Amino acid sequence: NSSVEADPEDWVRIISNDGYTFLLRRKVAKMSGTIRASLDETGGFAEAETKTYRSQERGIVVQKMIEYMSFKAHYSTVGPQEEIPVNDIAERLPLEILLELLLAAEYQDSMHVSLILYPVVLMNGFKV
Amino acid sequence: MAAAPRRGIKPKIKPPKKHGPDVSVEETWSTLSQNIKEIFNHNAANLSFEENHRYAYNLVLYKNGEILYRGMKRIVAENLDKLAKEQIVSAFPTTSTGDLMQRSQENELLLKALKNVWDDHTSNMTKLGQILKYMDRMYTRDAAVPGTWEAGLELFLKHIICFPIKDHLLTAILNQIQYEREGYTINRSAVKGCVDVLLSLDAGDNNRTVYQQDLEPMLLRESEAFYKTYGDTLLESCDTPEYLSKVESRFESEESRTHLYLSRKSAEPLLRILQDHLLTNHLDAVIAMPNSGLDTLFDLDKYEDLARLYRLFRMVPDGIPCLKKKLKASIARRGRDINQASTGLDAGVGGNEAKDNDAEARRALVKGKGRAIASQTLTTALKWVQDALDLKDKMDSVWMKSFDSDPKIQATMIEAFETFINSNDKCSEFISLFIDDHLKRGLKGKTDAEVDVVLEKSITIFRYLTEKDVFERYYKNHLAKRLLHARSVSDDAERGMLAKLKIECGYQFTQKLEGMFHDIKISTDNMQSYREHLAKSSMSPTIDISVIVMTSTFWPTSHSSSPCNLPQQLLDTVKPFERFYYSRHSGRRLSWQLSLGNVDVRVAFKSKQHDLNVATFAVVILLLFEDLKDDDFLTYEEIQQATSIEHADLQRQLQSLACAKYKVLKKHPPGRDVQTSDSFSFNSDFAAPLQKIKISTVSSKVESGEELKETRDRIDEERRHQTEACIVRIMKDRKHMSHNDLINEVTRLLASRFQPNPLIIKKRIEGLIERDYLERGEDRKSYNYLA
Repeated sequence: NSSVEADPEDWVRIISNDGYTFLLRRKVAKMSGTIRASLDETGGFAEAETKTYRSQERGIVVQKMIEYMSFKAHYSTVGPQEEIPVNDIAERLPLEILLELLLAAEYQDSMHVSLILYPVVLMNGFKV
Repeated sequence: MAAAPRRGIKPKIKPPKKHGPDVSVEETWSTLSQNIKEIFNHNAANLSFEENHRYAYNLVLYKNGEILYRGMKRIVAENLDKLAKEQIVSAFPTTSTGDLMQRSQENELLLKALKNVWDDHTSNMTKLGQILKYMDRMYTRDAAVPGTWEAGLELFLKHIICFPIKDHLLTAILNQIQYEREGYTINRSAVKGCVDVLLSLDAGDNNRTVYQQDLEPMLLRESEAFYKTYGDTLLESCDTPEYLSKVESRFESEESRTHLYLSRKSAEPLLRILQDHLLTNHLDAVIAMPNSGLDTLFDLDKYEDLARLYRLFRMVPDGIPCLKKKLKASIARRGRDINQASTGLDAGVGGNEAKDNDAEARRALVKGKGRAIASQTLTTALKWVQDALDLKDKMDSVWMKSFDSDPKIQATMIEAFETFINSNDKCSEFISLFIDDHLKRGLKGKTDAEVDVVLEKSITIFRYLTEKDVFERYYKNHLAKRLLHARSVSDDAERGMLAKLKIECGYQFTQKLEGMFHDIKISTDNMQSYREHLAKSSMSPTIDISVIVMTSTFWPTSHSSSPCNLPQQLLDTVKPFERFYYSRHSGRRLSWQLSLGNVDVRVAFKSKQHDLNVATFAVVILLLFEDLKDDDFLTYEEIQQATSIEHADLQRQLQSLACAKYKVLKKHPPGRDVQTSDSFSFNSDFAAPLQKIKISTVSSKVESGEELKETRDRIDEERRHQTEACIVRIMKDRKHMSHNDLINEVTRLLASRFQPNPLIIKKRIEGLIERDYLERGEDRKSYNYLA
């Protein structure tokens, strides 16, 4: 019930299902719709109180997700002239966790991640 | 980079998680629905967003979206019913009659209760929407059902904004408004809260909100009924300024109402209701209220009230026309009063219509009362002009201060003013007299700036005259008298006036007037040369003479030179000048205007000598007595024969010498009027305190009925000539013109002097046709110029 919006520089926590804890700034966390909603103080759920989001994904998946979210958070502030090195981030996604990442992205309401992942999946001739 | 799958190590793909087919739908839904209810109970802080989000996600993922959706709706509906029962229904107002304040408070509680429920509901739906986001993304669109939020609104509409709550709600809102209109204070934010709710809900399928569909029509109906009655009540109980003031404050209050807690869209229809019932229907009644309406406000210079009147009347289309009409009538009435005052005083003198059988009586009256009447009518003229100027100032003040310098109103005022000015037959004469008086007396001692102000005022009123040629005639006469008798206070002022007239009417108007000034100047130079001439020559007449030579075309010599037998002494003075003048100018003829001159003469009475200034005619009469003995007398007949002076002039002169203040002659029998049977003797007993005395001739300043008629005739004649000249000028230029065009053109060109009657123009045209200046065109509707 705070009427002031939470500070985007705030630190929040994401804990993976295998116990890894990740600390990140709120503004990065907000790149995922689901995480943003859960931490939103006007919603008033438990996550908002504790500033902690417990993910159902493995640590390694969460890590990649956060990496992507940082990438997105950073490049969302640059001007239109700058070229966004999408390939950079695409290269850093290991094949093994690609499917999980895809599903996680769906769940996390981060469609843009899916857009990056699908071509990667196809490129690799992945068959699920 | 595409790497070949690594040999030996199969990429391990993690299987989907726990909420797979292992956990039953029923269980999932059961838990989730329980949690939702907890959220509705404000227990979200104890729940995990992620968990519930995942429940919903899985339900939808595994094709159970419908269960989720239906379930959601059921829970929401149940919650709404509960809230309605607990909070709203319990707040239904109970007292239907009785204490107003209590009812208002109950209304307020109900409104607040509704707002609370709404706020609760929207907050719930927001949280729910977050959790059910996946459902909204994936299920609702395919199933063609509204999303969580929209469904929530529909449910709210169905369960809350329905009978009986809706009716109580609308009634409460309207009651609060009514209460406030009656002058009490209400909690506006409570009403606003509910109004906002109604504005957010769509009522059914025609794209209108509940506000528009249900509240607004009732609002407008009640408002109309209220203001209809209010307008009538106000009219009966208030005078005009009060009425206007109250109406204005009502406008303001309704404006603030729509601004602060109703919808802005209601502003326009409400405004129209106010305009119709407080203004349009009562315009005439308000403006014409006795003792407080437009007339009175105008009288008392109530600028603020008039400004309010203007502001309000301006809002409705009928307003300004109504104002203009009343204003015109008001000014016309005032003008009539001013004119009435002037003709009332004049009743004894010439009057506006000269009746022939009264002419005789009138003439006698004129001569008998003489100076008394003259000064009285001068006073009338001055008063009339001053009253007119005062009225104009008043009009201008009100126009600027209250009517926002509105040009349409100005036009009405000018029209009304013009009508009243010109409806007084003597307007031209009065204005000329006004100017005359100022140039003779009024401007004495004033600074240049002050002089200019007065002259400017004269021009202001002069502009309204339609018959400017009549004015010219009078002005010429008055100017001539001023110049000849040297009565002008200031030469600069005279020229200043002339300059202004020139600007107004053009060179033609002032041509002759300037000629008169010129003559005076030349005459002064002439006299200088004459005196030098006399000094050089051996002749030196015993009597000093000062001559003004007038060019006859410039000066208004209305009568042919009145005859008079000059005695030898005077002839000896006059003839040398004539000779001198003829020696200088050949081809000119001098004709002496003895009736205009005056003479300084020393007369010895028994007690002492006096220096008298008398008219030339008077001195001729006096000289008849020079050699007579004190008790000798001359009859009227004898005097007339000896001097050859005309009867009218003779009687006036004898009157000034024997019947006025200074009686240098004795009349037998004594009395005020001169009869042809009278006789006169020299009054050697005459005595007066002052040594120098001026005996002025009795005259009437304002024209008698006969003189008026004569002036009128002359003016008509002149106009005939002017019209004809104008027609010929136009036709010569155009060669061919239609009848209507010709009439219009003539009227236009003559407008600066007078307004010609089209029928008279037609007569002139016919006259010209007869005299072969023009001929009729083939189509019988136009004319050709004949060279």
